[in-house]
Amino acid sequence: MSESARSEIFAKLRTASRGGSAEAIDRERQCLQSAPAPMPPATEVCEAFLINVLKNRGSIDCAAGRGETVKAVAQYLYQYFRSHRLVAGNDPRLAAMPWRDAGVLPRFGGIETGEPVALSFAHLAVAETGAIVTYTGKANPAANNLLPEHQIVLVDRNDLVATQEQAWTRINQDMEKRGRPRGINFIAGPSSTADIEGQLVYGAHGPSSWHIILLGDTPADILARAHSAVT
Amino acid sequence: MEQRSNTFLDNASEALKNTGQAKRRDSMARLTPLLRSAAIEDAGDFESLRQQMKQVRQHSLDNLAHYLTQFEQEAVHNGNRMHFARDAEELNSIVLDICQQHDARRVVKGKSMVTEETGLNSFLQRAGLDVMETDLGEYIIQQAVETPSHIVTPALHKSAEEVRELFKDKHDLGPRALEDTTDMVAEARQVLREHFLKAEVGIIGANALIAENGYSMLVTNEGNGDLCANLPKTLIVCTTIDRILPRAEDATAMLRLLARSATGQSQTAYTSFYSGPSRDGDVDGPQETHIVLLDNARSEMLTGDYREMLECIRCGACLNHCPIFASVGGHAYGWVYPGPMGSVLTPLLTSLEQSNALPNACTSCGRCAEVCPADIPLPDLLRDLRHEETLEKLSPSRWRLGLKLHAWVSQQPWLYRALTATIIPLLHLMGRRRGSFTRLPFASGWTNERNFPAPQKKTFMQLYKAGMKKPNE
Repeated sequence: MSESARSEIFAKLRTASRGGSAEAIDRERQCLQSAPAPMPPATEVCEAFLINVLKNRGSIDCAAGRGETVKAVAQYLYQYFRSHRLVAGNDPRLAAMPWRDAGVLPRFGGIETGEPVALSFAHLAVAETGAIVTYTGKANPAANNLLPEHQIVLVDRNDLVATQEQAWTRINQDMEKRGRPRGINFIAGPSSTADIEGQLVYGAHGPSSWHIILLGDTPADILARAHSAVT
Repeated sequence: MEQRSNTFLDNASEALKNTGQAKRRDSMARLTPLLRSAAIEDAGDFESLRQQMKQVRQHSLDNLAHYLTQFEQEAVHNGNRMHFARDAEELNSIVLDICQQHDARRVVKGKSMVTEETGLNSFLQRAGLDVMETDLGEYIIQQAVETPSHIVTPALHKSAEEVRELFKDKHDLGPRALEDTTDMVAEARQVLREHFLKAEVGIIGANALIAENGYSMLVTNEGNGDLCANLPKTLIVCTTIDRILPRAEDATAMLRLLARSATGQSQTAYTSFYSGPSRDGDVDGPQETHIVLLDNARSEMLTGDYREMLECIRCGACLNHCPIFASVGGHAYGWVYPGPMGSVLTPLLTSLEQSNALPNACTSCGRCAEVCPADIPLPDLLRDLRHEETLEKLSPSRWRLGLKLHAWVSQQPWLYRALTATIIPLLHLMGRRRGSFTRLPFASGWTNERNFPAPQKKTFMQLYKAGMKKPNE
């Protein structure tokens, strides 16, 4: 059934299509104008990213080095869970963090029932949308994005790009080097729904809280500036 | 789904009796345009964005055979099994076959208007499968045995109180009262989490298919579609052949408009691209993935006069801005797709005989075309369908005769002016005391609902000519 359906559908589409060689079609596609990106809310890309994370109802923090990063994670865990435990994918960048210094006890692997917090290290992040990008795989199992109540995501400021087009340039480079991942996930905020009378509720199926920690050198007052831009 | 499009007027009268729903629609019609316009302002140059997207969509459709072949090659290379379905029955049978091959009993579904179009749920349920909708809105209407009233927010017609009562009836709540919306969402989350973890098959739709790399794109806020795509061992993506875009970058251009037009967000919480089954070393993901591409009249639309309708990105902006939709709601349209986009699509996907009332459910106000991110001239397409309705003699003969008479008189300027110059002053005289008429011969369709205002003393042409004679006055 499927084979005859396929031939029939393609026969109709060939009649309807304009024809021309693959090269000609590709050339035509290249000639189309590009979609203008919106004006960023701040000229500095880190600030624009953090502002958009806040607009997406995420929370933000910054950490200059690895020691500060584990401290920031420990503080978050203690604030919300009075705990030092979390689950994280087998990402070598996460494994190399000095967790013991801050008393954090990570378990590396896929999330299991009852684990409330997962930690991810973003492959890249997009200032335009305030989204982080992860690839499915050992370093970040898809369920770690979706099943916890809180997701903490580390973003290296060197992995921050301004626009979605720049994000795809990076992703395409990664795919050329390492092949196509099963899933590419752009996440821009906690899971939400407005399906009951239009009232916005967080934690529909995925995390109800989404916390971003930006790693690397950033201006000292960047958090305050981002918060003041949103309030 | 049984089609009731041709009883639109009766459906609409019925819908207006439910004042609770009418009030909610009214607030939706006031709020959603505000959210959209704030988001569109933030996007920068809306017109450039939509013209760029229109170019890309037109280019994709112009070369659909090429891009679909490319997508198929890449998707197979990524490890997917591809299926093609000419119509709804074929799609349903393909999906059931896959489920049966895996001895699956439990299926979880993400929101998909395509599978609403094919009636997949009831088909699978009749074959003994346990099919669970996981988008909160879809879950609510599945539990209530109802159909979606909006393409983006399917349970728009339900009040929180009705959802609470529904959950009390269907769930084992114990002493829990489900005080507010947050409690209800948490309740659904808990119930559906179990289903996600137990299901053998996940079914999702796709907002776009990327030809250059064989990925399918899924956009959600809840994350339910992603759970369907990642937890069960078998994944089936059901979508239509017209969702193809040449490159991943083209999808980002579409994303700049999609969420802003639909919900007023700059981006939805989850935008995911899936390539196929789980890779070596992956710790989760489906072992087997299928992509089922449905035609169901799209290939005919491609060569017909309504081709532009294939450029629709299903954002729902035309519904949110339509005065008819706001008044009567989605169920009045009697099939899967409501509002202006539905009034064009339904006759094309079913038949004009079954749905000729829908192209008439339009005031020609033009708001839908103004806000459409794909720049589809919806009022023009609706007018063309009404024209076809007349040519095919589907409208009442009285209407057609009236229209013919009107057209003939309009083409005889002397007669038109003579008639109006007689009737207008007469109506002015008769109605000058009250200012309006509660009854008029041949106009009961108007006066049954509202008063007809008494006209000014002179006709437009008389005033115009008088103005021409005294240009400085």
